[in-house]
Amino acid sequence: MGVLLSLSFITMSCFCLAMEKHRKQIIMVELNACLSCFFRPLAWVLLISTFYMSSQLYGWTIGPVVFFGMLIGSLVPLILLLTYRAKAIPLVAILLPIVVYIS
Amino acid sequence: MKSTFRQSMKWLHTWVGLVVVWILFFMFITGTAGYFYKEITRWMEPERPLISPEVSKKQMLHLSQAYLTEHASEAERWRIQLPNSRDGNLRVRWTQAAKEGKRRGKRTHKILNPTTGQEVAELRATGGGFSLYRMHYRLHYMPRLVAYWIVGFCTMLMLIAVITGVIFHKKIFSDFFTFRAKKGLIGWLDIHNVLSVVALPFHFMITYSGLIFFLTTYMVLGFNLSLTDSQQDEFHKQVFPDTLAVEQAEIAQTLAPLTDMYLQTRKYWLEDTLDNVTIKYPNDVNASVNFERLETDITYNHSDEIFFNSNGKLMTVPAREFTPSGRIEDGFISLHEGQFANSVVRWLYLLVGLIGAAMVASGGILWTTKRKPKQDKKPNGADFGYRLVEQLNIGSFVGLPIAIGVYFCANRLLPVGLENRADWEINCLFISWALLLVYPAFRPAISAWLEQLKLAAVIFTFIPVLNFLTTDKHLAITLPIGDWNYAGFDLAMIAIGMSFSFAAYKVKQRIVSQVGNKSITSAVSKASTAKLAQNKGAM
Repeated sequence: MGVLLSLSFITMSCFCLAMEKHRKQIIMVELNACLSCFFRPLAWVLLISTFYMSSQLYGWTIGPVVFFGMLIGSLVPLILLLTYRAKAIPLVAILLPIVVYIS
Repeated sequence: MKSTFRQSMKWLHTWVGLVVVWILFFMFITGTAGYFYKEITRWMEPERPLISPEVSKKQMLHLSQAYLTEHASEAERWRIQLPNSRDGNLRVRWTQAAKEGKRRGKRTHKILNPTTGQEVAELRATGGGFSLYRMHYRLHYMPRLVAYWIVGFCTMLMLIAVITGVIFHKKIFSDFFTFRAKKGLIGWLDIHNVLSVVALPFHFMITYSGLIFFLTTYMVLGFNLSLTDSQQDEFHKQVFPDTLAVEQAEIAQTLAPLTDMYLQTRKYWLEDTLDNVTIKYPNDVNASVNFERLETDITYNHSDEIFFNSNGKLMTVPAREFTPSGRIEDGFISLHEGQFANSVVRWLYLLVGLIGAAMVASGGILWTTKRKPKQDKKPNGADFGYRLVEQLNIGSFVGLPIAIGVYFCANRLLPVGLENRADWEINCLFISWALLLVYPAFRPAISAWLEQLKLAAVIFTFIPVLNFLTTDKHLAITLPIGDWNYAGFDLAMIAIGMSFSFAAYKVKQRIVSQVGNKSITSAVSKASTAKLAQNKGAM
């Protein structure tokens, strides 16, 4: 569960970073164009991986339900962070899998 | 008709949503609570024991069989529900044969102490969590069919609102993460959009599957009026196929020990996930014993059931034959109810259910926020329609949660011996909700919001205190024991109370920022006077 939640959060953070207006909110420094273009394909790869992992863990019927639930569950804190503490998003995205791994 | 298709869809979305917003909110809140109805019922029956130390399933089956043999030997059906993560109690149920002229026989339900096998003390009469769950599709105080039609109508309008919302939302992807808080109208628009879009698959699923639930009721022309009774029965058999039709032989035979059958199921399933056991005709030679494990699939999975005969021999039972449409229906209903969900997935269901409720509420608030500047400028005060919507918004979006809080308090405060006690708990809910719906008519909107939010904060924070004062199963006991199922309810109430406190704080901050801290009292009293004058004028 924790792995799926952190993967979902990182996936959605990457989608967020792929949008210029949100990238400016999260990262102060200007990224070069090549690096900026990297976020969207990375997000898609992560999204497909999360879906696959969820289906492997919970089967091909319950897995997609868990996948959508995890995406929604990660989007709510992400959007709140983006609104009130945007700069904390990269830190949370890095810390979340570490916390899950330790626990 | 509007100038463009998108504008027409926007108009339809606004008005279709407004017509049913409060009923939808009621359905979302009570339905979301329904995902935890077993846990709520457990809290509302404090006579039940706390989760006891690990007792083996084998011992519990042995004790249950002994109890049922002693107390329900004449019953035609037994059911043993083993403790699980949702309901930590060992339950036994039995159904007597139906008397002449009756459709069903008398049903009895007992909770057993898993260590001794004796029934626990008499439980108080309560509506429990199931009444909340039932209300979300059955409403209350009205005939069943009327309720189904009202719920179906509202659900249909919600489906239209979901579809039209997707059509007219111009920036569904580019504004996916956008929430511009502190920007008044734009902020409300953003929050409505965000809540709608992030959980869009859930909103669509829950609405569509909600309609499927009573499809034979709603499809009157195509079903009730077109098919004969036998055709309808045939339809039901196809869509809801039964597992095994057992005929009673009326030859007495003692049932083999359930514990032996249980050991066989462990070999078959390779895991210890048994959830319940159902026995048809327990003291007949044709008895059938059905062992069911926790659901492993959204749709029906034949391997989740194992059958034995009265001698304890494994029976080969053909799988239920679902038609493709029956299988789809089964899948949608299972998705709606989330019966397959483990604890974490159940919490996710709760989260998305609350998102749904918040989406509906933000839509209602958005409607008034958008019209407020224009209405404020009117020389004779705001229109009746606007004031009514605002009043219903406050009375529903804060009033309903308070009323549910009152329902929980009533469970602890009403005398245990009161006649029709369970009904009175629900009456308390609706009486308090009715008062809270009327209350905003006599107060300025902003004050009514603030006061009801404060009341909600007090009530929900008070519930664990009340539990502490009236029972011996409070947080000081449940937390050290580790009964998270019971403690979770009290903790959830505290969390809800804190959320309402935060909301009240933010509303107060808004008032302060608008009128200044010192003049807040005078501003509210001026607004109250103006409101009273407005009400008099309207009369």
